[in-house]
Amino acid sequence: MDDTLRQRLDSTFDSLRIVEKGTNNTSIAVGRNAVMSVLSFLKQSGYDHLHAISCVDWIDKGALELVWVLSRYMRPGEQYDPKHAENLLLRTMIPRDPARMVSSIPLFEVAEPYEREIHELFGVDFEGHPRLIPLFLERSYDTPPFRKDFDTRQYVEDFFESIPSIVEDGGEGE
Amino acid sequence: MDRNQLIKWLEAPAKMGHKYSLHAVYFCTGCGIIEVPPSITARWDAERFGVLPTASPRQANLFLITGYVSVKTLKAIIRTYEQMPEPKYTVGFGSCPINGGMYWDSYNTIKHLDKYIPIDGWIAGCMPRPEAIFVAVTHLWTLIDKDMADGYKRYRKYYSQYRANQEKVLLGLEWPPLFPIEAG
Repeated sequence: MDDTLRQRLDSTFDSLRIVEKGTNNTSIAVGRNAVMSVLSFLKQSGYDHLHAISCVDWIDKGALELVWVLSRYMRPGEQYDPKHAENLLLRTMIPRDPARMVSSIPLFEVAEPYEREIHELFGVDFEGHPRLIPLFLERSYDTPPFRKDFDTRQYVEDFFESIPSIVEDGGEGE
Repeated sequence: MDRNQLIKWLEAPAKMGHKYSLHAVYFCTGCGIIEVPPSITARWDAERFGVLPTASPRQANLFLITGYVSVKTLKAIIRTYEQMPEPKYTVGFGSCPINGGMYWDSYNTIKHLDKYIPIDGWIAGCMPRPEAIFVAVTHLWTLIDKDMADGYKRYRKYYSQYRANQEKVLLGLEWPPLFPIEAG
């Protein structure tokens, strides 16, 4: 991240924490109220491409962390410069229960499938998302399956192992 | 052609025809499918054994389940299997369809494929080599010879059990039963 952007961010927003670890590893931690304004600020400042939205479950802290991965498109006629190919991470902590966040679709339309995925795997409700319907899963789970307190072993033993083998005339199963 | 097999050809020509023209559905499940392109192309050349990939399940009689099966894939597998004309043979490829393999404690992969569709043979390993496919194919020939590759007959016979398991894992199916299910 170049210094002018860092200064502008620092002077525009209060509670930003910018962590830079080597090249291509810059993250901005913000409170969740400021996420949309920082996202829109970064979009205006050139970071106009949303790679992905990711979610991390910090069960010890009792929080979910949402991560927006941003980078910038090359402008027409621009020469490739590795400095401009940097990714920028925007991170925020939200409580695990109730896990709510405002949808970033008004800024980045591509956020739609990522938010649906996070909704079904981590149980985060995105306010303002037009259709939070299942994306990958065929069934609903009591605990969203990617949360750390989802006991896969117990689930497999309770559900998949309870399905009976086919009993054929000559005895048990095949 | 092997002259020793002439008697077999005269006795049961249909069976011999099935044996030497196994058309496999080109259905990709999980990671095992990566072994299929080398098997069917010049390096291992599955056509030596009469095995050819077919794009449509309606023209195929061999179904290789290659790798782990997620619940969503299971639905596609059942649809594909039910569309194939009889006689049809299924082979589970790799350890995941057998008992879940390394994906056993996963929330969304089924563990024992033979609870949902009948399987005629298994190829163990993770991954099995392409040679294992040919061992399986020659073994399947023996099974067909002895009328032991009867998965499609078992599917008809125990269809109510298979259907019950399928509905249990998929929370109901969108299509009607393939065969009539007797009450009780």
